[in-house]
Amino acid sequence: MRNIIFKELKELTRDGRFKSALVISFVLLLLALITGINQYQKSNQQLTESVSKERTIWETQGAKNPHSAAHYGTYAFKPKFALSLLDYGVTKYTGNSIFLEAHNRNEASFSEATDQTSLARFGTLSINFVLIYLFPLIIILIGYNSYTKELENKTLTIIKSQGVSSVKLILGKWFATITPIFILTIFTFLVIGVVLSNIHDLTFFSWSSLIILLAFYLIYYLIISTITILVSLMSKSSGTSLVCTLLIWILFSFITPKVATNFANEAYPYPSKLEFDAAVIEDKKNGLDGHNPWNEAAKKLELETLQEYGVDKISELPFNYSGYRMQKGEEHEAQIYKKQYDILNEIAIKQNKVYEGLSFLSPFISLRFLSMDISNTSDKLHWKFTNAAEKYRLKKQEFLNYDIKDNSKYGERGYNMNEEKFKQLPKFSFTPPTILEIIKENTQNILFLCLWLFLPFAGLLIFSKNK
Amino acid sequence: MFLNNLSHEIKLLFRSQWLLVLCISTTLLFAFAAFNGNKNVEKRLKDISKVTEVLQIKDSIMLSTLSKIKKGEVVDGPNWRLPSDPMTIGYRHPRLAIMNPNEFSFIATGQSDMYTHFKSPTIYGNNFALDYSEMINPVQLLFGNFDLAFVLIYILPLLIISFTFNVLSKEKELGTLRLLSAQPLSMINWLLQKTAIRFLIFTLICVVSIFIVIAIFSPNSLKDGFSMLGLLALLFAYNLFWFVLSFLVNIKVNNSAKNALTLIGLWLLIVLILPASINQIGNSLYPVPSRLKMINEIRLIKKENAESQNKIMDEYLRNHPELAQQSGKDNFGFWHNYFASEKVMEEKTKPILVEYESQLKKQQDLISLFKYLSPAILVQQSLNNFAGTSEKHYNDYKKQVFEFSDKWRNYLAPMLFKNQKFTIKNYNEMPVFNYNNRIKNNIWLSVIILIFTNALVFFLFNMKSLKNKSAQEFMD
Repeated sequence: MRNIIFKELKELTRDGRFKSALVISFVLLLLALITGINQYQKSNQQLTESVSKERTIWETQGAKNPHSAAHYGTYAFKPKFALSLLDYGVTKYTGNSIFLEAHNRNEASFSEATDQTSLARFGTLSINFVLIYLFPLIIILIGYNSYTKELENKTLTIIKSQGVSSVKLILGKWFATITPIFILTIFTFLVIGVVLSNIHDLTFFSWSSLIILLAFYLIYYLIISTITILVSLMSKSSGTSLVCTLLIWILFSFITPKVATNFANEAYPYPSKLEFDAAVIEDKKNGLDGHNPWNEAAKKLELETLQEYGVDKISELPFNYSGYRMQKGEEHEAQIYKKQYDILNEIAIKQNKVYEGLSFLSPFISLRFLSMDISNTSDKLHWKFTNAAEKYRLKKQEFLNYDIKDNSKYGERGYNMNEEKFKQLPKFSFTPPTILEIIKENTQNILFLCLWLFLPFAGLLIFSKNK
Repeated sequence: MFLNNLSHEIKLLFRSQWLLVLCISTTLLFAFAAFNGNKNVEKRLKDISKVTEVLQIKDSIMLSTLSKIKKGEVVDGPNWRLPSDPMTIGYRHPRLAIMNPNEFSFIATGQSDMYTHFKSPTIYGNNFALDYSEMINPVQLLFGNFDLAFVLIYILPLLIISFTFNVLSKEKELGTLRLLSAQPLSMINWLLQKTAIRFLIFTLICVVSIFIVIAIFSPNSLKDGFSMLGLLALLFAYNLFWFVLSFLVNIKVNNSAKNALTLIGLWLLIVLILPASINQIGNSLYPVPSRLKMINEIRLIKKENAESQNKIMDEYLRNHPELAQQSGKDNFGFWHNYFASEKVMEEKTKPILVEYESQLKKQQDLISLFKYLSPAILVQQSLNNFAGTSEKHYNDYKKQVFEFSDKWRNYLAPMLFKNQKFTIKNYNEMPVFNYNNRIKNNIWLSVIILIFTNALVFFLFNMKSLKNKSAQEFMD
């Protein structure tokens, strides 16, 4: 078998097409890396500046009524993660900053994609673009004729006459197909790792995430290699084998994901923004509103508070009831938003399940989700970020409302919070999930990848035995 | 010779069942894509009708309250919430600015999946800063839609490649080229005719199946004959491009497997690598202006604005003495203050936003120049333009909403400062929004450019080959 592998690899080094494909991939990788680092550093710098400017604006707003400050609000910025250099994921389709204000839970607005032309819809040249679209093509280029060429050159009988078993022959060819791509991929990841560890102001970089990501890409390449060899084994000519494997590649990378989009959209449509807002308003109408003390829920709250403190009037309470009521109102509204956003998240999860479910037609989808998740550029991460921002918003509101509650008198007009106190508001921080958590969330994707590896490989062994 | 070639080619295609495969595959692909495109348009229309319905209900309640007020009947709710207050209308009853799809929107999803098609600008807030993005699962935007544009741009070239990659090399590999060489014919002419016949057959199949599909899914669009013709011409020109490429590869490479690989390589380059690289390099060289920076600048103005709230009110009245005269400064309520402060805020932030928008427009114009580098980009942009789903359409929609909102505000705001009541008459008089497609689709220009490109590619790479080569030269 070792001889077969060496023979195949030697042939490969002589193959001009392989060499050109290699050179093109290298050039593209280099281009993706250089432009990626450039953009990463630029946007990271903008982000750092914005975070510090926004904080300065918050801290220097002077003595102010806490509720006015709450309306003036502040921003939560999504950090840039190290591996986003490798896989941009959905980042350009989600906004990176959320306005945190009183009474409203806002979405991250102004995504990069809405400012770009429709050219962006063709995709962006990133390292992931080369890894996920082009490397499989190199595998196809290496392997499509690995068996058929022996048939066409009539060398199969010569090989067999030397006593080589079919299984060994095929496994040899299989190893020879994966070896160059494995070396190439490991080298690429190594370079990325070294580059990433040398970039300043890098956040959340870990070699373990990079290595795990590498492992999943390698599994995907194993799948593509196995399928390519299997198709070559089953084809009568190199031409047929090439057409079939390319068709599979197109099915995997383009057709299935796009079809999944249409299925997902049809089965679980998203509400429009106006519809969503209307649902929130509808819920707010029946709920507690911090500004309207005479609505039913607020009245109930008032009664309960009076009873709890054993007093008849709110002015007799040991704290300013307005601040307390406002915070309770905020929490109630947050519940409404949570309800509506949970519905939305549920739809997103169901839509993603449609994609993941169609992974039985395309392992590409499983890898795409895994890659985005590990790189912290997925929609799941965006949900986590928006939830963290909302949690922070509520804390911020509590900080401000309880200042009114504790430091002002009921009915007091013109109360202002001390300028220094604004500095005491904790800063927003967001930590992405650990790699273990990500793996746990992706068990189905990993399972599909393993199945995709196992089944064609079993098919390869069975077919090669029969040859 | 042409007729001989034609009948021979058709016979061959029939026997190999290629025609059947092409007919079935193109019809199925077009039908599925048109079905999906149609579903997207249906969802858009459904969303529009939902919000319109809600507005109509709200309006009818508002109108009945206005009529009660007119009659002097008692109405529920606090005074500041009554629709007779123009600010209640401005804040609680904003108008809907709807962007309806056009007849051809089902062809290309374009940017329609990420933008909203209805906006309700209120009386206050910065109109320039409105966010037009729609709620959508970003994964959907990442993977894109299986629409007609996808089939036309990505899949048809692959069908063309598989239909033509071995036109000449097959003859060589089967040994029939020797027989052909015994005939007194020019090989180039023979190959040209063979490719042209395949091109005509392929385009005919595409045209017929696209006609059938459109007749089923969007019969109304057939009424616009000129636009339909434009679409078909674009299809013709783009198909021709791939046939020209295939013809060249057949001559230059002339080995089935190598032909297939070269053509797939070109496909990759044109529909995948070039657009993605242009996008990445373009955005690196001409980056989109920073939204974050803009947000910071606006926040600073807002901060300054809040600090000088009362001063602003005086300034505003100084600028609008006609408004101050009638109501008297002391009687001004919350809305007066709020409105004045927002107005000043808007005026102060407007330059930043205008600057941002103009920078963005410059960047987008520069990037869109790159469309000429790949026919796939040119066709994508033309189809989006044709379907009314291009970024130009959404930018113009934003502009139209802004213009409308300005008009509407200018109708309501003076009523506030003059202490006028809002009545049913005002409701009927108020400006309404009508979306007007002001973007020319330029599809014929794209067709001309594509045909010119085809001719250029054909003659540039083919000058030497066009000489009368003998079959022997192709056999070597």
